[in-house]
Amino acid sequence: MSEATVPVAAPVVRFSTTETLKHVVLILGAVIVLLPFYVMVSYALKSPAEIMQGTGGFFGSQEPFRDEYCVKLGNPADDCLVTPIAYNFTTAFGKAPLLRYLLNGVVVTGMIFLIQVLVALPCAYALAKLRFWGREAVFGLVLFCLLIPVHAIALPLYIMLAKLGLTNTYAALVVPWTISVFGIFLMRQFFMTVPDDLIDAARMDGMTEFSIIWRVMLPTAVPALMAFAIFSVVAHWNDYFWPRIVITGDRSLFTPPLGMREFKGDVDGDNFGPMMATALVIVTPLVVAFLLAQRRFIEGITLSGMK
Amino acid sequence: MRSYAHMWFIGPALFLMVVILLLPIGVAGALSFTDYSLGNAGADFVGLKNYVQIFTRSTYEKMFGATFRYVFVVVPLTVGLGLGAALLINSLGRFGDFYKTIYFLPVMAALIAMAIVWEFALHPTIGFVNTTLERGCGTWLEAWGWYAHGCAEGFPLWLTDRAYAIWTVAFIGVWQGFGFNMVLYLAGLTSIPRELYHAAELDGAKTGWQRFRLVTWPMLGPTTVFVVTISLIRSFQVFDMVEAFYPQGGGPSKSVYVMMFAIYEKGIQQNLMGIGAAITVVFLGFVMVLTLIQRRLVERRTHYV
Repeated sequence: MSEATVPVAAPVVRFSTTETLKHVVLILGAVIVLLPFYVMVSYALKSPAEIMQGTGGFFGSQEPFRDEYCVKLGNPADDCLVTPIAYNFTTAFGKAPLLRYLLNGVVVTGMIFLIQVLVALPCAYALAKLRFWGREAVFGLVLFCLLIPVHAIALPLYIMLAKLGLTNTYAALVVPWTISVFGIFLMRQFFMTVPDDLIDAARMDGMTEFSIIWRVMLPTAVPALMAFAIFSVVAHWNDYFWPRIVITGDRSLFTPPLGMREFKGDVDGDNFGPMMATALVIVTPLVVAFLLAQRRFIEGITLSGMK
Repeated sequence: MRSYAHMWFIGPALFLMVVILLLPIGVAGALSFTDYSLGNAGADFVGLKNYVQIFTRSTYEKMFGATFRYVFVVVPLTVGLGLGAALLINSLGRFGDFYKTIYFLPVMAALIAMAIVWEFALHPTIGFVNTTLERGCGTWLEAWGWYAHGCAEGFPLWLTDRAYAIWTVAFIGVWQGFGFNMVLYLAGLTSIPRELYHAAELDGAKTGWQRFRLVTWPMLGPTTVFVVTISLIRSFQVFDMVEAFYPQGGGPSKSVYVMMFAIYEKGIQQNLMGIGAAITVVFLGFVMVLTLIQRRLVERRTHYV
């Protein structure tokens, strides 16, 4: 709607230099922003030689080359001809259990979100719609906890988990994130806008408070929950700090960011192609999801600005 | 029965809040006065020794130096570029969404993966950045002293040269973060009523700058307070890049030894929980004070706007 009023302010005929200048600035910015993405995609496609010599343009020549490692394993040289793309991606998935890492990422982010909702939704409902002694105190506590960045208290959390013998488990990856005070705050604000009549009607029908939460409140909260889901999943899929601390040896528990880091650690000179392929595989799911549902993603990520 | 329902609803959340968020603060506070290590049966009370170390030893002086250098570069630049991009995009009729999408991409991409890509792009000999710079040698660009020097002696080792490392890391931080602020500012801009601009124009605000100064900037006040605080908190927590680039020691002569990395190094790598806990407490102090200042500013504003 607001767009309709803009042309009135600016004379239409002025095919202006300022407009062009704006585009020049924005395109320049876009080039810098896209630069590492360009490098990543391009090098995931090219052969080691092309990467080293900086030849081959964006896609590389895609000429098959001999995989020396494969020859070293004793295979006949003719069987070891591979195209760069195939080489990069098979190495990425073959050298480390990348598929396992991706699965771990899905399991961990999924569990975190699920438990966050199971814990936060009833609490938010009680804070918004039930009257009981101590409600203000609990809400005050939620507001106070909003001040605490969980990453900052990683060390004591790690010590507590270590004392319980929980490091190097899925639990260690999930437990610290099960409580989202931000989720509670957000859902409470949302539930405040739900009319009391709706809840009273449900009570008249004989619904228990418990089923009111899951059968009345949850459906009304779907848009807010979607935004929160995106917020939560993006944060935990990309999180590197916490997994780095609690998963020390066991590769089978690595999340995608840890897998990426591991690959970098043992890179032996000319493995840049497979490394970039790994980066591409890890970054792609969220970027594609973002491109498909931009508005929702931007809403979700900037939720924390909605106070 | 209904009167007890809330206990079941509040209970789990309350329990987790206390155990996961409040108790660790207490644990950190208590351990910061000891020389505790994981695996030891007990720990000795050492008084303020850990805190004295933090504020006297040169290692921690470097830690604060690196952290504040990073924060004081990244915050103004992400906020400034975020606002600039938002204003430009907002003033475009079409194609605005196109730029918005591109600028937001780094926010979505896993920083650890993109940091490694950057490291590779900044590789001194085969990296994209330096090979591109070398192509400019022998042209008019050499009139710039820095450039001529680079052509003669080789362009900087961005990530391993002490003089460049922290600024290069900060650059990547800006690259990653400004799209987030841009989106917040775009949301702020759409909520400014059009009439205010018309009114300002009637009052004689003819140039774009005057309209910005009289209407846009004041109306964006609450957004700015929020954007600055969240940028501060996020940049205080920088870790991924530092650990990926410098797994040991925090960069060339500890010039990139930021606080989160120090906590990780002391506590997790070296098992010096006492000193790690003390840094944690100082860190929490910073973050909480910042957030409280933000809340105070927001509240004050809402009183008279």
